[in-house]
Amino acid sequence: MAEPVPAPPGTAPLACDHCLAPVDAREAVRDALGGGPRVFCCAGCRGAYRLIHDEGLARYYAERRWTEPGPAAPAALELGAFEAAVREAGGEAELTLTVEGIRCASCVWLVERLLARTPGVREARVNYATHRARVRFDPARAELRTILERLRTAGYAPRPWSDSARRAAARAEVKDLLVRFGTAAFLVSQLMIYQSALYAGYFQGIDAGARRLMEWISLGLTLPVFLYSGAPFLRATARALRGGALGMDALVVAGSGAALAMSAWGMLRGGEVYFDTAAMIPTLVLAGRLLEAAARGRASDVVARLAALQPAEACRLVAGADGARARERVPVGALAPGDRIEIVPGERLPADGVVVEGRSEVDEALVTGEPAPVEKGPGSPVVGGTVNRFGALVVEVVRVGEATVLAGIVRAVEEAQARKPRVQTFADRVVAFFVPALLALAAATAAGWLATGASAERALLVGISVVVIACPCALGLATPIAVLVATGRAGARGILLRGGDVLERAARVTDAVLDKTGTLTRGRPAVAEIVPLDAARTPAELLALAAAAEGRSEHALGAAVREAARALPGPRGEAEEFQAVPGRGVVARVGGAAVLVGNRALLAAHAVALPAEAEASAAEREARGDTVVFVARAGRPEGLLVLSDPLRPEAGAAVAALRALGLAPRVLSGDAARTTAAVARRLDLPHGAEATPVAKRDEVARLQAGGRRVLFAGDGLNDAPALTLADVGVAIGRGPDVTLESADAVLVRDDLGLLPELVRGARRATAVIRQNVFWAFFYNAVAIPLAVAGWLHPIVAAAAMAASSLFVVGNSMRLRS
Amino acid sequence: MSLGLLIVCSLSLGVAAWLFFLWSVRSGQYEDPEGPKYRMLEEDDEPRREDPTARQERDAKL
Repeated sequence: MAEPVPAPPGTAPLACDHCLAPVDAREAVRDALGGGPRVFCCAGCRGAYRLIHDEGLARYYAERRWTEPGPAAPAALELGAFEAAVREAGGEAELTLTVEGIRCASCVWLVERLLARTPGVREARVNYATHRARVRFDPARAELRTILERLRTAGYAPRPWSDSARRAAARAEVKDLLVRFGTAAFLVSQLMIYQSALYAGYFQGIDAGARRLMEWISLGLTLPVFLYSGAPFLRATARALRGGALGMDALVVAGSGAALAMSAWGMLRGGEVYFDTAAMIPTLVLAGRLLEAAARGRASDVVARLAALQPAEACRLVAGADGARARERVPVGALAPGDRIEIVPGERLPADGVVVEGRSEVDEALVTGEPAPVEKGPGSPVVGGTVNRFGALVVEVVRVGEATVLAGIVRAVEEAQARKPRVQTFADRVVAFFVPALLALAAATAAGWLATGASAERALLVGISVVVIACPCALGLATPIAVLVATGRAGARGILLRGGDVLERAARVTDAVLDKTGTLTRGRPAVAEIVPLDAARTPAELLALAAAAEGRSEHALGAAVREAARALPGPRGEAEEFQAVPGRGVVARVGGAAVLVGNRALLAAHAVALPAEAEASAAEREARGDTVVFVARAGRPEGLLVLSDPLRPEAGAAVAALRALGLAPRVLSGDAARTTAAVARRLDLPHGAEATPVAKRDEVARLQAGGRRVLFAGDGLNDAPALTLADVGVAIGRGPDVTLESADAVLVRDDLGLLPELVRGARRATAVIRQNVFWAFFYNAVAIPLAVAGWLHPIVAAAAMAASSLFVVGNSMRLRS
Repeated sequence: MSLGLLIVCSLSLGVAAWLFFLWSVRSGQYEDPEGPKYRMLEEDDEPRREDPTARQERDAKL
């Protein structure tokens, strides 16, 4: 066992050997591991490093490719939630879970090895795309807890895998489409052999018996494509016929059916056969549907992974037999009003209630948009979904399930979903116009031939041939393949899109409504200004003093002060007798003198009087919406620290880029009017403040009623209804479940610059989709006069089909650059 | 008849490929399209090997 190594002098920039996060030399955890001195940011990273070395998996460090450093911060294990995820089968147990904290391919390698080397584990597989792990183990030899604890020690957070009914249905749909498409592809590849022989025979002559045989085989291969692989089109067309609106499915059935009918007639009466056209149309359209469903499924899977952060369990306090309190972990669904629950710092509140014991501050930013934590003590109401930051709280549950504020927001999202009109995609609109036009043209052709004295049979045949040649099978690929390439490229940049219609809507937005907290701003406070009261003190000294006193504070403001002091040179003072006073600040002894860092109430409690000038400058800053922290040493006020939620550095450029794209940006916040106004002024944006979740949604609805198409970007629960109703809802970063699920696009990378990029990318993709749709028709349209004239050759039909499909695929690939 | 024989051959090969495809869908081969390109580069490390740094550590102690 290695002994901790004393810190060497010097303050060169250090990075944690496990998580690569920058480490302050004064705070580093040092140890000799793996044959040399190592530096860690925390004991957790040291534990992870040791475990990985002890298992002989150190190669991981050489091979990993991380794009973002930082520890994964594993949360407390909720063992009960995993028990439902274990299935027993033949003496073996299979556990399905999501592993949070995987950042690269090497992480998957590491997790698989760590799991596989746990005694009793037979097999472990991690899915690279979804980070879902399947672990098969012997329940007699391996315990669930051991397996999960190993993951946690290595810095990964295991979560129970939950599969919503919607996602399960989507996966089943992809699988069904895959089998139908695969079957069609097999049949078409066989069909091409015989069809090629028939083409050759058309030019060179062919033995009548051989021709007959190949025609029969072709028919046998085409019928399953039309009836089995094409079944979704047949069903949808039957529904559409009853409904009266003919779409893409009807076009597929019309084109494929007409080619089949003509070929059957050709076999009976000695004409040409067009089985390849009949089979190719449904096959290519199926390929398009499969691509689209798979792209959508991938986006949903990643969102599901981000969303699995909600607490599934609560810690309920029950009176034991001897009157002592006992804790039990229960599923959140089992809570009832009147229950008392304990929430430790860092946990999310599982339900709405009233604090009965303890003092803490709760981060309500996700629900209300207010960035500063709100002080809570006995009697304060608390809202489920918010984060307890600071001290343990005992809460009496008041509302659970459907009655909670969170459930109310979810309902507002559902209402907004119901209200949001389904936008037809460009290809749909074209087809809706094209199908009746095509049928009219076919009928007119048949009528024309009849009028000029052709037999009814001949006229009908020419009419059908018009449908065969005009039906572009590349149309089915025109949108999905462009969407696939564009979403793939967006995904690589950190933008997750849920389908092609999002691209088309994003290309047409006219207004961008931006939430303030967490969207335009960082969403957490930072030191903005340092005001010493004593002229002899420099701002750096004042900051160092405050940072020393805040050394062990877990408060957001304390962390902000430490963060600001990190840049200071020289050693840091050590605090003794550290004491946190909830809702007020901290008291500590630094260099022998008592130091107070906190609000007015803290100073008053320690009988420190503020000079009038300090009071005036504090009041002035507070009027701007900033938070002021007072620093006093040995009973004398020393200065003020002004903390504010700073604008993101890229906010100005992102807003300018949105303007350059012709969008009208504006701010809409749930936060107080003065702070919102301050941010809006700096970015020169119109603004609205103190908006409730429903008010935000109504603002979006008001703009839409005025004919505007709205992009809404936000990150909180309070944004979810507006995100859903907006033409394009963009959720930023790691919002909670409801927010991510209600968005059309998710910015995985915490960068506002992706917003204009999304719009720009969408416009390019939409332009390519339009070109694709045009060219898909173009080659077929050129051949229509031949069909009308009754000169349709199978070779023309085949050439038009191949040319349009190749063009559509090639054109879409341009989106990759 | 040789033509008939060839047709039977090609169809049965095709059917075999189709059955293989159905099996691969059913056994979940398409569920992780990302993984194989990374797994290909991983070394087979069973039986468990000693990693070089751990060996250095032990040698240093001797």
